[in-house]
Amino acid sequence: MRNPYEVLGVAPTASAADIQKAYRKLAKKLHPDLNPGDKAAEDKFKEVAAANDLLSDAEKRKRFDAGEIDADGAERPQHRYYRDFATADAGHPYADSSGYADYMDQDDAFAELLRRSEQARANRRGRDLHYALAIDFAESIAGASKRLTLPDGGTLDVTIPPGLVDGQIIRLRGKGMPGSGKGGPGDALIEVEVRPDPRFTREGDDITLELPISLSEAVLGGKVRVPTPTGAVTMTVPKGSNTGTTMRLRGKGAPRVGGGQGDELVKLKVVLPKGPDPELEAFVSNWDRKAFDPREDGAS
Amino acid sequence: MNKQQFLIDAGLEVRTLEFWIEQQWLVPDETASEISFSDTDVARAHLIRDLKGDFGVNDEGIDVILHLVDQLHGLRRAFEQLHKDMASPQR
Repeated sequence: MRNPYEVLGVAPTASAADIQKAYRKLAKKLHPDLNPGDKAAEDKFKEVAAANDLLSDAEKRKRFDAGEIDADGAERPQHRYYRDFATADAGHPYADSSGYADYMDQDDAFAELLRRSEQARANRRGRDLHYALAIDFAESIAGASKRLTLPDGGTLDVTIPPGLVDGQIIRLRGKGMPGSGKGGPGDALIEVEVRPDPRFTREGDDITLELPISLSEAVLGGKVRVPTPTGAVTMTVPKGSNTGTTMRLRGKGAPRVGGGQGDELVKLKVVLPKGPDPELEAFVSNWDRKAFDPREDGAS
Repeated sequence: MNKQQFLIDAGLEVRTLEFWIEQQWLVPDETASEISFSDTDVARAHLIRDLKGDFGVNDEGIDVILHLVDQLHGLRRAFEQLHKDMASPQR
């Protein structure tokens, strides 16, 4: 290799800043990717880059100046340049015909040739686009149709399948970025967040709900209204129900994979009236309190 | 090649790669479940690295240069096709 100072066109006394400046000036002119048609540019660029690698490293420069190493020790590792692919590989996503699009619109043989070369470009699928969407708990069980407003002002209609779980991703085929040629567009991927409902807890396909009932409903039984994700239903509380008694509403849960439906589990919770109730107090005083000890099995 | 191999070949860190993809300087193939990169992507990454690192080009400048370089290659490809067609005009 030639003397690196000569290659960069700087004096042996040049400062590090001068060397960088000289290198940048030459490299910008000689970089093979900025000179795709100039075969000689690659060799010239390599020489300049190697000279810079040597002289921009203070330690290497010192050893070179002292005659300890020669200029050939600074060969750059080989890598292929973008220009080696960009023209030949017609299928890459960076291909851009806007530099001659105006000529293609003409109606002559030349334009026809250009159009055919454009079609020769391989077909690549467009990119996928990612979006986020939040829905209510009830919508996640029953399914819903939502309209998503996109950053560019467009909209996307999204069908929420019944039984969707929090974090599930819905793929809308062909709603991503356009592709090139016959590659077709990418997909829109929508991550769906399910907003929790304080009343319901989902466990697999089943839904759990805690239902407050009055003392008389617990003792005497009766019909009560129970909320479910698809609307309230009537349920019969049997006589002598207690806090913790669990009732099963068949088919009121989330859809099961492979058909069928989970259940809603209703956990009863006996609630006394708020505040002092003299009537209740008088009644309970007359009740035989010795007859029942909930702690007789050693629970306390 | 997969993402890990690409990061090694292109000498990039994950965050840099993510930024470049976000800027659409690199457009890897996301058709399959795993993102994949071509040799063209590696070579293009080297060009971006040279522009940013060695030449001191800022992010706006990268956009401009890549756009012009891509147009230049588009022209070269069209030119090459024309050249072929003129050398052997049978269709």
